[in-house]
This record gives sequence, structure tokens and C-alpha cells, in this order.
Amino acid sequence: MGGRALILVKGLPLPKHHIFTDFSCNSSSAKLLRLRRNNNSWGRRNFSTWATNGSSLEPPDVPRLAETARISLAPHEVEEFAPKIRQVIDWFGQLQAVDLQSVEPAIRADTQGDNFRDDVPETFENREAIIAAVPNYEEPYVKVPKILNKE
Amino acid sequence: MASTVFRSLQSFPFCLHPTTLFRRKNGIFYCTIKGKHSQTATQEKQTSNVKVSSHPAIKTLDKILKDYEAIIGIETHVQLSTLTKAFCNCPYNYGSPPNTSVCPVCMGLPGALPVLNSKVIDSAIKVGLALNCKLSLNSKFDRKQYFYPDLPKGYQISQFDIPIATGGFIDLDLPVEFGGGHRRFGITRVHMEEDAGKLLHSDSGSYSQVDLNRAGVPLLEIVSEPDMRNGIEAAEYAAELQRLVRYLGVGNGNMQEGSLRCDVNISIRPIGQSQFGTKVEIKNLNSFSSVSRAIDFEISRQVQLHSQGQGDQIVQETRLWEEGAQKTVTMRKKEGLADYRYFPEPDLPGVILTDEYVKDIHNSLPELPEIKRRRYEKMGLSMQDVLFLANDINVAKYFDATIAKGADVKLAANWIMGDIAAYMKNEKLTIDEIKLTPQELAELIASIKAGTISGKIGKEILFELLAKGGTVKGIIEEKDLVQIIDPAEIEKMVDKVLLDNPKQLEQYRGGKTKLQGYFAGQVMKASKGKANPGLLNKILLEKLNAKSS
Repeated sequence: MGGRALILVKGLPLPKHHIFTDFSCNSSSAKLLRLRRNNNSWGRRNFSTWATNGSSLEPPDVPRLAETARISLAPHEVEEFAPKIRQVIDWFGQLQAVDLQSVEPAIRADTQGDNFRDDVPETFENREAIIAAVPNYEEPYVKVPKILNKE
Repeated sequence: MASTVFRSLQSFPFCLHPTTLFRRKNGIFYCTIKGKHSQTATQEKQTSNVKVSSHPAIKTLDKILKDYEAIIGIETHVQLSTLTKAFCNCPYNYGSPPNTSVCPVCMGLPGALPVLNSKVIDSAIKVGLALNCKLSLNSKFDRKQYFYPDLPKGYQISQFDIPIATGGFIDLDLPVEFGGGHRRFGITRVHMEEDAGKLLHSDSGSYSQVDLNRAGVPLLEIVSEPDMRNGIEAAEYAAELQRLVRYLGVGNGNMQEGSLRCDVNISIRPIGQSQFGTKVEIKNLNSFSSVSRAIDFEISRQVQLHSQGQGDQIVQETRLWEEGAQKTVTMRKKEGLADYRYFPEPDLPGVILTDEYVKDIHNSLPELPEIKRRRYEKMGLSMQDVLFLANDINVAKYFDATIAKGADVKLAANWIMGDIAAYMKNEKLTIDEIKLTPQELAELIASIKAGTISGKIGKEILFELLAKGGTVKGIIEEKDLVQIIDPAEIEKMVDKVLLDNPKQLEQYRGGKTKLQGYFAGQVMKASKGKANPGLLNKILLEKLNAKSS
């Protein structure tokens, strides 16, 4: 998960070194980054009103964030994480303060585009390693708890 | 997938046994010629007709149904027939052994990065243009977060607020059997996304099984405006989308394999009311007929609840169509909107299209079903013929090739829809697999028209060509089948037949003129079917009547 979180952060216009220097390379960092990723405040974009919304963002509802990320947190962990997540959100608060009235909204930060590949099949040669890493595998299927009518 | 069109009258649940009241007239079917992805032309099995008498309670309900209108919108997922998945090079072939076509990208392993397949963009633009949409030259991918075992990454790469295409429409013709008529349905949006894996629920065990071959396969989601009003319109909308993707060559549109999946949203309201009723979603629709029947069932269910003052029992939910029981059942109730926490996919750059790129694709589009139908109509073909020929792109191509060789339009249509279609159905062949070429069909039609061969012989030659191939000229020469149009030769045969049948000749001349047919048959037999029937009859009649006068 840590790896994925790193990828995720890579593309963002954030002061990312802060994040990694603050909580790098331990299990809680993965959790924390994941929580931050799930923060609702930047899920729905509305760039036209982005700058006019004012600069303060809602404080994080850590138990809800944990639930949406399927992470169990003990009450003391919630207490521990809340201010840290708050800090991350505050960085966004700073961004919110920037006056963007005269700036054309951008869809993406990197707009070089044309990063496509041709439709040519290639079989991944180390499939065995992938399958071996599946927590519960029963040839030829991945075995998961029975899930019906959930979500 | 055969496009099967059903006539389904309003059917409705009644008391505790809704299914017993399903009334449907015998549908008239298109026996469609299948595309290359499926082997046999199937006809939908008909559900047994349960005859319903004009029971007073039913009449009342029929009347109530007239006071309501249904608002139907459809969400369709079209699997694109690319060789590889959307964001990785894994090959995708339907029916491969489970979990064989996987890699770190589609398995969601840390550090793996997606790269978009250019064919996905091509296909999306083709479909967007064909659906008369406005394209977003500048769009992007977003992450849709949810947890489900068939989704290894924990999110689906999709498009959220800026879909690649928006605001289009699709034109279609309703089948003649259902009263016909032209319809235009709005298209809200088309967006690109990836498919999830396949989840299998074991009956016995307490676990489920996942096959991730399908995870990451490219899909187009096509969302319609809520413009449809009944099951037939909805089924025809889905059938037209299938036609469209097959014409464009972007997908096989096979519903049984799940390459074309329809989720239907449906609500009812009293006629005259502008406010929409509560929307119910129906899933698990595996054929056009189930789309049509599920909708008609659902309309009846909702109307009945509404008319009995139990409108509050219509709740926002997802219902499953049960093919066996022919009814919809609750799958899950929706508690508010799911929070997918969309945000722009950071691993993929934006999707930027140039006008030139779009223009190139626009210029490369084939003739689309609607345009083809209008063209066929202008040629003077009946709507029945038009719909049959344009239904399957391969049949349409065959027909076009035949008339391009100069064949008479109506005759070509008749041969294809008649004997050729029947042959394909019997032999379970597609039109691409028969040995008769459009060139030879045109030749056959011309030979009959020119009188070189009789229609009867023409049919014999047709079946020979269908099965073995070859040329019309070759078979005519080889079997000496050229029609006899020399009056002298026919006269000789007539004379011989009259001579051989003195008794019948006497009877004929005694007033039993019906025997003319007998004589004509004898002469035709003597000529091995080659005598020109018009000439034969003319000469025969002259001879029969000449001596009697």
C-alpha cells in the first residue's frame, strides 16, 4: 500500500517532501497517506468556484475516513492521527487562499498528453510470482470471502 | 447474438402469481445472421403463452396502465474488442483459463503504472461521433473508489466530470410488427473506463471465486436520456447500440458473453404529472427480450402499487431480473448516494485530442445503420426488408456487393431474405461462410431475368452454389441447364406429349380443359425443366385448341 500511496502523491502539486519526511517508512505512514487520499474535500472538483469558496476546509472526520478506507483504528489512534491529517488538509487550505480569479481552470497539471501505447499484446512472464503473492488462491481462482448484496 | 424482437403486451403481476398472467402475442422474429463471434443463429426461446381471458380485474388494470407513463433510461456497458486491456499489454480473450491474463498493472500491485491503449481512445471517438455527441478534446481519467473483491486496485479508472463525449442522440426504426415508427433517443454521455474481474459465487461454499482476466478490459459506458417509454423501445435502443458497435467494429456486442450489458432505470408517473416518480434500477438483463420483458413487468408492478395507494412501496433500489420466474426481485436497497470519492487519476496524463485526429476518424467512419436504412428505403425496399438487411452488417455488406454487381434490388433482397437466409439457418452458417459469392448471386438474378434459365432452375443452381461454390455459368454449362427458348424445339416436345397421351387429349377436347396443366407438366418434364414456361404454355394451348376447332 505504501508504494501505491507514493505513486499517488507523485502527481500532485503538493509539498510532498513534507509528507515523506514527517512520516516515512513505517506502517503508519501507509495508513495515513491512505486516509489522506480518501479525503472527500478534493474528490469532487468544481474549479469555477474553487477559489471563491473561502479558505477554510472542514476538519477531518477520522473515524469516517477510516471506515471508507476499510481501516480499523483504535480510539487513541484516531486521536493521534486527527491533528496530522488536519495538518495536511491545512496545506490545501493554503492553496485555497490563492486568488485564481484570472486563471483559466486546468484539467490536469501535466498536459503533454499523447502518452498512449499501441494495442499489441504481451504476456507478463512472471505470472507465477503474482499468483504466489495472492493471499488466498485455489487453482484457478482467487478465493475471497463470500460477498453478496453488499455495498 | 440474434437480435430478437419481442412483442410484449403490458403484463402485470396479479395477486400472488404474477407470472401466470403474462400475456404475449407470438413475437415475430428476425432470424439474424450472426457475426463472426458466434456460431449459430439462435432464436430466442419463447415463453409459453398463457392465455388470459378478459377477466374484469385485468381489464381494470389495463385501463389503469393507460393512466401512467413510464420513464426509462438505460446505462449500457460496451466491452471494446481491443487485443489488449485498457492500461496494460495483457491480452484479453473471452473464455481464457481463469487468472492467466494478468500482470502487475491489472492486479493493482504497488509501483505498477497504467498506460492507455490508443485503440480505446479511437473506439471512444468513433462511438461518440456515431452517437452524434460533442467530443471533449480535453478530458481526463478519474478514480472511482470502492471496495469489492473483483477490483484489485480498490478503485476503478473511469471518467467522472469530463466524459469524452456528451449530448448526442441515436435514431432507430421500430420493427414493423410493433407498429413501426422512427424514434430518436438522447445520449447523455459516453465515457471510457475499465472493467472489473468476474466474481463467481459458489453455491455450496462460504466463499466466492475471482477471475481477474477481465479486470482492466476497456469499456465504454453509454448513458441514455430517460427518453424511452416501454420495453420495446428500450430493447430496440439496446439492439441499435449493438448494431452500431458492430458496424463500427469496436466491439462484438455479445450480450450472452457480457460484452454488452444494459442496466435499466425506470420510474412511472401519472400522465400529466411533470415530476418524476421513484427510480428503480434493473440489472441482469442478458438479452433484448429480457430487457423488454423486465421493463414491462416493472411498469406493471409499479403502476399496480401506485394505483393501490401503495406508491410509497416503490423505493429507490436495484432489482434483478429473474429469467426463470419472469419477474424482478429486490437485490439491494440504496441508502443514499454511494460515495465514490472521485478524484483525477494521478497516474495518467490528460486525454488531449486534436481536431485533425478527430476529423481523420470522422472520415474513416463506415456507413452507419441509420444512414444505411434510409438509403435502402430510398431504393424502394419495404421497411421489413430494410430492417432485415441492415440488421447485420455482414448481411448488409453482402447485399450491397450484390447490387453493386448490377443485380435488381428487390430480387436480390428476396433471394437473401428467403432461400439464402433459410439455408444459413439450417446449416448454422453466417453469410460470410456460404460459398455463394455476391458476384454469382448477381449473375444468377441476371440469368433468370434474361431468360437464360427458369426461376425453378435458378433455385436449384442457388442451392448448388451455396453448398459447393462455383459459377452460375459453369453449372449451367456443366449440367446443360440453359432454358429452351427455341419454339421449334418446344413444339416438338409438345407434339410428342400429345401423341403419347391420346386418352387425355380426347378428354381435354371433350371439355376437360383442366388437363392443360397435366400436359404442361408432361412437357416440362420432357424438357427436364428447361422449357421456357411462357413459350411452352403458348405453344401447348395453340396445339390443344387448334385440332379441336
